Amino acid sequence: MRRLSAICLSLLLCCGGCGGDGGNRRALVDSRDTYDPRSLDPALSTDVPTGRAVGYLFDGLTRFTPDARVIPALATRWDVSANGYVYTFHLRHGVKFSDGTPFVSRQVASSWQRVLDPKVKGGRGWPLYPIRGAREFADGKATSIAGIATPNDSTVVVSLKEPFAIFPKLLAMPVAAIAPDDIPVNFGEHPVGTGPWKLVEWRHDDYLLFSANKAYWGGPPKADSLAARIIAEPSTAVAEFESGNVDVLQIPQGDIRAWQEDAERRKLLASTPSLELVYVAINTTRGPLKDIRVRQAINHAIDRRMLVRNLIAGRGELAAGVIPSSLPGADKTRIGYQFDTLRARRLLAMAGYPNGIDVDLWTSTTPIYVRIAETLQGYLQLAGIRARIIQRESAAAREAARQGQADLFVKDWYADYPDAENFLYPLLHSANKGVGGNVSFYSNPRYDSLVTQARREQDEGKRVALYTQADDIAFREAPMLFLYFYSELNAIQPWIRGFVPPVIFNGQTWTAVTKAAGRN
Amino acid sequence: MTAFIVRRLLLAIPTLFGVLVVAFLLLYVAPGDPVMAMVGERADEATIARLRAELRLDDPWPARFGHYVASIAGGDLGKSYITNRPIKQDIVERFPKTLQLAGAAMLLATVIGVTLGVFSARAPGGLLDRVGLAVAYLGISFPVYWVGLLFILLFAVTLHWLPPSGFGGVRYLVLPALALGMRSIAFLARMTRTAMLDALGADYVRTARAKGLQERLVVGKHALRNALIPIITVLGLDFGAYLTGSILTETIFSWPGLGRYVVNAIARRDLPAIQGSILFLSAVFVLVNLITDIAYAKADPRVTYG
Repeated sequence: MRRLSAICLSLLLCCGGCGGDGGNRRALVDSRDTYDPRSLDPALSTDVPTGRAVGYLFDGLTRFTPDARVIPALATRWDVSANGYVYTFHLRHGVKFSDGTPFVSRQVASSWQRVLDPKVKGGRGWPLYPIRGAREFADGKATSIAGIATPNDSTVVVSLKEPFAIFPKLLAMPVAAIAPDDIPVNFGEHPVGTGPWKLVEWRHDDYLLFSANKAYWGGPPKADSLAARIIAEPSTAVAEFESGNVDVLQIPQGDIRAWQEDAERRKLLASTPSLELVYVAINTTRGPLKDIRVRQAINHAIDRRMLVRNLIAGRGELAAGVIPSSLPGADKTRIGYQFDTLRARRLLAMAGYPNGIDVDLWTSTTPIYVRIAETLQGYLQLAGIRARIIQRESAAAREAARQGQADLFVKDWYADYPDAENFLYPLLHSANKGVGGNVSFYSNPRYDSLVTQARREQDEGKRVALYTQADDIAFREAPMLFLYFYSELNAIQPWIRGFVPPVIFNGQTWTAVTKAAGRN
Repeated sequence: MTAFIVRRLLLAIPTLFGVLVVAFLLLYVAPGDPVMAMVGERADEATIARLRAELRLDDPWPARFGHYVASIAGGDLGKSYITNRPIKQDIVERFPKTLQLAGAAMLLATVIGVTLGVFSARAPGGLLDRVGLAVAYLGISFPVYWVGLLFILLFAVTLHWLPPSGFGGVRYLVLPALALGMRSIAFLARMTRTAMLDALGADYVRTARAKGLQERLVVGKHALRNALIPIITVLGLDFGAYLTGSILTETIFSWPGLGRYVVNAIARRDLPAIQGSILFLSAVFVLVNLITDIAYAKADPRVTYG
């Protein structure tokens, strides 16, 4: 017994003595990544951790501010031709990559070619497809992108296939960031960029450590270093935050109430009107769901107010259409589908289903979606819609939905850039059925034409009006169960100054963030 | 003995080939597509078709399997579809961390479990025996993710003795190793107790005591040595399991080991990474079993392998 307790005691002592990281007051620590980035090569940035890290290391021609404005980055300004086809970007002078190579226009062309080159195996070419000849290059039918010209070192002239007024917004996406000319095989591990931070070390599945780029053209970051810790389990991230080891925490959706109701913890919270739509795609090509009235019935069957209050502690704005209210184009006067079981039943009866219908309700195993699915099942039952929940691991569920095998699919959509087009076009335009994002397989020529027209429209006011009209059609025809726009909640340590949670995930590069003095 | 080891190693080749076939076929029939994971939430058919062609995913399965076996035979585990990094490099980076965690868990299990077992057996029904029984029940009944979170809350968040998660020195290792080793501690404590009770009742122990040997030597040298076989069995099985399946522990404690790597690979349908890891882990398992068998012979001269 004595030996045993001696062992336990010595174990605890040897480890206890050195507890608490203390933390350097000029070292920032993030905890929001839940898995290892795919790569640090901009051409491979198709997921959130990758995109965030690429945003620290590289710059695009434009960038997002935390509150989702698009501002000049490597391009200081741009001119648009009168017909909207040609963009002339004037590049910033005196910018250098972290290895000392000067930034010139040629690298814009080479970076974008890499994104589209099938050999690089990136997989996200669509932000550059508006450029004339981009698809031909990606298909191997051309050796360069016809629509990109570099008349001199500080000018890039981009010709588009057709006018696309929001094109500069797409260039702030991580995938369009600029890399140097020579790309070694292991570039994804040893990136060289012009961004505010430089990579010091990448311990896979553990952390990425960045140091401030003292020569950053936008002024060096105020802190010395930034560590992005990769923490797979949300409860662990919470524990790290409560131990003071990490500076910023994304509150897991299931924990919101606990944080909001705790007087101490509540002070640390910062809310962001994030551009995330949580919805249920209704496959408009399957059985009774082809009927608009049935889809409207599904919308009327749900008490969304109760759902939002009980599942996410009220942190969602009820959706009436696909455009978040913070974006131009949202019709703030539109009233969403009201919870009305009788009306839902009546609509079903009018559609020829007085005895109700049977549907499969697909969800991934993500806990919040499972809870949403279970809640929906109960409400649908009241209206005579018998939903069978089919729960699959994310990849399998998404694939089934993309192949059109799911009647209803609980999912979300997180905007890549702040524009209504980023909701209207991928989610419901018939060109994007399946893998493009339209898993409702919705197809309405009038809607398509409004969205296409809006994409081409140069006049902001007219474009926004077209967005509203298209959204109106989508709302009435209900190709989805409109649930809510999630308002993301972060906790920020009291010693952190200047961290504004970004509306778009790569919109916060920590350059203005400091740790208060006295934090040892 | 050498002949035995050589034979076992040779036998491992068909075993691993079998693993290769099963892993390949299971992944072939399982839903989910690596290209879908690569392209993310928004893509187009043309890009997907190009990527599928680039990765040779549209080849008939015998061709793909042949291609894969050929590259494995050449010692190449291939490159990850998702990250473009060589699988071998990924495994080499992560396996030592998994080994460290499993090793520490086994060390704790051996020290705590065997000690508890020996002391329980010396006074059956006594206080220590009852404490040992309670520890064993708790260790077996509590799932590791629950114990893990509890440890983090108690020792890290409340007491600030240890860091909640991450990889680093010994102090990062203690909580995950203890959480992971709980089950082994419990099993070993009970197994050792039973084996020791058997041994302590045996004739040779009576003889040893009769000739006036110190009790310490009787227990430590005569009885424990004879009780080692079941202990080695548990150690071997658990060590193999920890090396290949400490996924939950690694996830909860943000431990950058091979378990998390495999889970990520599965979530993204990164076929070369999944297959490479399965193959590697199977080889490790075969090796651990072999070492266990050799340890039997070392512990007990009566065990021989012809």
